[in-house]
Order: sequence, then C-alpha cells, then structure tokens
Amino acid sequence: MESKFSVNYSDGVASIELTGRLDANNAPNLQEELKKLIGQDVKRLVFYAKDLEYISSAGLRTIIFAKQKIGVDAQVYFTGAPEAVTSVIKMSGLDNFMVIQDNYNE
Amino acid sequence: MDDSIVLAAKMESLDKAVDFIVEGASKLKFSDKDISQIRLAAEEIVVNIINYAYPEKAGNMRISYRTEDNNTLVVEIVDSGIAFNPLSLPEPDVNVPLDKRKIGGLGVYLVKKIMDDVNYERKDGRNILVFTKTAKNS
Repeated sequence: MESKFSVNYSDGVASIELTGRLDANNAPNLQEELKKLIGQDVKRLVFYAKDLEYISSAGLRTIIFAKQKIGVDAQVYFTGAPEAVTSVIKMSGLDNFMVIQDNYNE
Repeated sequence: MDDSIVLAAKMESLDKAVDFIVEGASKLKFSDKDISQIRLAAEEIVVNIINYAYPEKAGNMRISYRTEDNNTLVVEIVDSGIAFNPLSLPEPDVNVPLDKRKIGGLGVYLVKKIMDDVNYERKDGRNILVFTKTAKNS
C-alpha cells in the first residue's frame, strides 16, 4: 500500500489521515505538514489510522510532536489502527495519554 | 552469515536495508506480527547508524543475517563510525505524559522489547550490533 497522509483543520479539530507506513522516511514530511497548524486553537487531534500498516519510533515522535507543539491542551484520538500499530503504541506507553478507538467517537 | 549487503549509511538506503532483513526473516516461519517487529527493529537500528555513525563524513554499513535451527534469525549490523553503544541509552520513562516526553531513546527501547536478544560490541574500530528473534511454535 502506498504511504501517504493528509492533515486538515476545522473548528478546533485537526484530522490526520495515515495510510501505509509511517517511518523514518516519511515522518519528517508529516511533521512539516503538522507545523502548519502551530498557532491554531487545536482542541482535538484525531489520527485516522485504519489503513496504517506500520509505525516506527519516528512515527511515534511525530505524534508526540503534534501534542507538544500544536495541541498542548488537546485531547489526542487514535482511531481504527490495526493491532500491529496499536501494540507499538502500547509498548511506548503513548496509549496512556490518548484515546484509542475503533471509530472516532468523541 | 548466510547473506550480507553493504549500503551507504544514508536515508536513501533505509528501505533497501530493511527489505533485505525482512527477506531473510521470510525464509523462516515467522508470524506476520514477528515480521512486523523484525521490520521495526531493523529500521530503528539502521536509522540510528544513518543519523549518528558518521557525523563528518560519508560511510557504509554492512548488514548480514543467518538462520539457525530453522526458527531463529540472527541479524548483524556493522559500521565503522564513531563508537556508540545504543544499548547504553537511558530507557525512556513510558509513564511520562505526552506533553513532557523527551524524544530520544524510544527506538532502541522498542528494539530491546521486541527482540529476544540484542548485543553490542566495539571491535577493531567498528560498532557491531546483533539482534536475534526466534519464531514461536504456533
């Protein structure tokens, strides 16, 4: 599957759609996209990860970056991810600080 | 070692390096989850070398693997860059909230968690990192 992502912002909600792999090759590109949201009043960061097959520490760092730089007070949602991805998130402890769901549901 | 490849230590080599190791793993009966974890360990170790081994010049890395007992993959990654033991990095505190998280050390921490064995050795001016994973009977 081709790796790609999109970032959208509307009414306090940043929606990030992830497809394929989020690794050291493309995490910097996602981070550049996320930087464009700095200064917005982001209340929710919603990652849509149904078609995300793989994530490495570079991808995890992008999630941490998003929380620290664009949504310090935002609630982070990580939705639809397959087990291969959620298991890495759980190993890193990031699951304690975001809502992991099958479908986005505030 | 059964097979090995020498690649430039730069980001353009990452996919080739990881695919080479995954190809070795595919000769054994690993589960999809194991393969995914081997891919992750390969990326984390290789990216560390690409980012840190050769701060002032270009350099190479040699990646080799062998299979043992029809169920174990042994991967060796060697560079001749600056001495650096990634296993000596302090483990990240995974209980620290996201907004206070420090960035370093997470990749190596994952490698240690998902591989059965990880070893580092500095020998003859080279960093030698070996990780091992055994397929579980299922």
